[in-house]
Amino acid sequence: MFDDLDPKDFEETAREVMEACAATDDLAARASTLAEAGLLGVIAPEAVGGLGLPARFAVPILEAAGAGLLAFPLIEAMLLSEALAHAHPEMASALVSGETIATIAWLGTEADGIVAGAPRGEGAEHLLVFRADGSAVLTETAGLSAQLSDQLDTDFASATLRLAGPLTGLELSPDAVATLKDNAQILRAAFIAGSTASCLKQACDLAQDRVQFGRLLSSYQALRHRLARDLLALETMRMGVTRALSNPGEAAPMARRAAWLGAARMGPACAESAIQVFGGMGFTWEVPLHRHLRQMRTLAIQGQAAASVSALAETLISGSSNQWYEEVPDVV
Amino acid sequence: MTTAPKDPGAYGAMARTWLQQNLTGNLRTDRVHETPATLDELKAFEAAMHRAGLAGITWPKAYGGHGLTLREHLEANREIGLAPAPNAVNSIGKELAGPIIQAVGTEEQKLEYLPKILTMENVWCQGFSEPGAGSDLAALRTRADRTSDGWVVNGQKIWTSGASKSQRCLLLARTGVKEDRHKGLVLFAVPMDTPGIDTREIRSIEGHRHFCEVFFNDVVVDEANMLGAPDEGWSAATRVLSIERASNRMYRSWRFESELDHLITACRSDARTYAILQGYARDLAEVRIEIELLKGHVETLVEALLAGEEIGPSGSLPKLYWSEAHQKFARIAAEIVARFPTDAGQPLLDAKARMEAIYLASRAETIYAGTTEIQLDIIAKRILNLKKAA
Repeated sequence: MFDDLDPKDFEETAREVMEACAATDDLAARASTLAEAGLLGVIAPEAVGGLGLPARFAVPILEAAGAGLLAFPLIEAMLLSEALAHAHPEMASALVSGETIATIAWLGTEADGIVAGAPRGEGAEHLLVFRADGSAVLTETAGLSAQLSDQLDTDFASATLRLAGPLTGLELSPDAVATLKDNAQILRAAFIAGSTASCLKQACDLAQDRVQFGRLLSSYQALRHRLARDLLALETMRMGVTRALSNPGEAAPMARRAAWLGAARMGPACAESAIQVFGGMGFTWEVPLHRHLRQMRTLAIQGQAAASVSALAETLISGSSNQWYEEVPDVV
Repeated sequence: MTTAPKDPGAYGAMARTWLQQNLTGNLRTDRVHETPATLDELKAFEAAMHRAGLAGITWPKAYGGHGLTLREHLEANREIGLAPAPNAVNSIGKELAGPIIQAVGTEEQKLEYLPKILTMENVWCQGFSEPGAGSDLAALRTRADRTSDGWVVNGQKIWTSGASKSQRCLLLARTGVKEDRHKGLVLFAVPMDTPGIDTREIRSIEGHRHFCEVFFNDVVVDEANMLGAPDEGWSAATRVLSIERASNRMYRSWRFESELDHLITACRSDARTYAILQGYARDLAEVRIEIELLKGHVETLVEALLAGEEIGPSGSLPKLYWSEAHQKFARIAAEIVARFPTDAGQPLLDAKARMEAIYLASRAETIYAGTTEIQLDIIAKRILNLKKAA
């Protein structure tokens, strides 16, 4: 299936769409632009107006969004249109067509009374809020008070929202929420790869243009090796995403986790590296590298990367399933 | 090539079963043995692996191989990696000389050399590096002069792993002058018992005598032992080398995972060492992530090779990644085992010995097959295409 299509076919379109989105301040206009190009529904079923393509087709779109600093809850639109397609097809259709905009409060639960980490939470009409029992509810944002979550987050403009009592709206089961969170790992990793690629390109371009001590910056081995390491990080991220999407059987959960946690660690480090290559200019607001750094750090926070590494550490030392060592006594 | 088995994973399952039955006693690297495996025992095990279908998997049947694809090779190597199996004695034969001979050898050479690599009759060593030509291989000086008897070779090689135990050497020599750099290089398959070859072992930091210096004094090499024409052999070989750099020891990431499994399992055999392990849990989680991402490098490469793509400079990416990831693990593991109590039980002593050996051996990994600095240069120059001047 899909043999006549290649995910690369979306690259050019996606880049143009991200440029168009960057040229407008209007969130609804960005939704229309993305929807008209079919980018919001690329992985949503055809029944709700999507293209019904496998997740690997979302990768070049998310990379373009990351590179283009897209100020829109694209990951959330993709995840929600897929998650709602069967139980709530009308809402999924509205998301795919860009008629309505939904986001997800990645941090906190309904019981907390306050949730956070919702990209464009102040402009979206619907908000998915997680519940302590693992389920979630998609509620309307009208009447909720929203404020920006974080200084370290300009383009996503993640919001903190104060909830006014128990929420009503479309329900997602714990299983559906678990799947959504699992898929989010890969979409975020792809987004970070795009952001990283942009940082690396900007750093390489500057290094091959700027002359210091009578030589191009790119002639200095210290900088060449730094940039080479950043490329290694970028390609490692991309291969991690590719592998996680190619269904390596029982290894799949770990492959997805590694792709996500690897990207969450390496992406911001590449942005930091690009800032260093730019020198003093890298520390200015005008050079957009800080926006990439903020964007990637925000994704890491929304995906709770630091806590996930701790959870992985716990699982790791809780014992190995490698049959070769099963004779070693376990006393813990 | 024959088609893959219909049941994905069937080849790996076969390999796992075979290893469980045959990787026993002093062949296992996860235990300290009173009598370590001898070279003959290791060679016998490796020959048995081949007969069982765990080596020579992609080689044509006509040359002793199993005629399958890289997919089966990868499946088998996952299982080989997860097992505490010894490293191959004849990896130069199987992963360097063999593929080069398949690429540039004559039919007679293929029939003569290839089956004996797999049966372990002929162990090969690699005569490339020289005292003045390590990372800068094109500076090599060993000369090959054509005479009426064939070729006469004079010069010195170094870091020739396993030379004192090998039957054949894949020798790179020069027909012209040093200034020719990459031109005028010729490849030979030299029998190591040829008069004029003198081998001297070098003790490495782990205490082994595996490395050698090899001296060639008026060594006569038959025309029939030349691989490809001068120049032609080397240019074909460099293509093979770029693939080999990326794909050799394909089991590597699963072996690293197995080493980590061993360390964790051993630490859980004693409450005191488990307490030590807990302090390193996050560091080890980072290592585990890197091991998993390394599998992405390997599997992407296999898919690219199966699709007939050129590897070229991108082979530097996995080399750089695995060597540094493994050193990081080895450093943490060495620190953990150094803290084991003095009255530690046997499972801990076994793990300690293995982790200490891994720590020392891993120091070579960022040096051989192109140092880290060479890999970074290749990536900067040939992948990023970074200019050095305006």
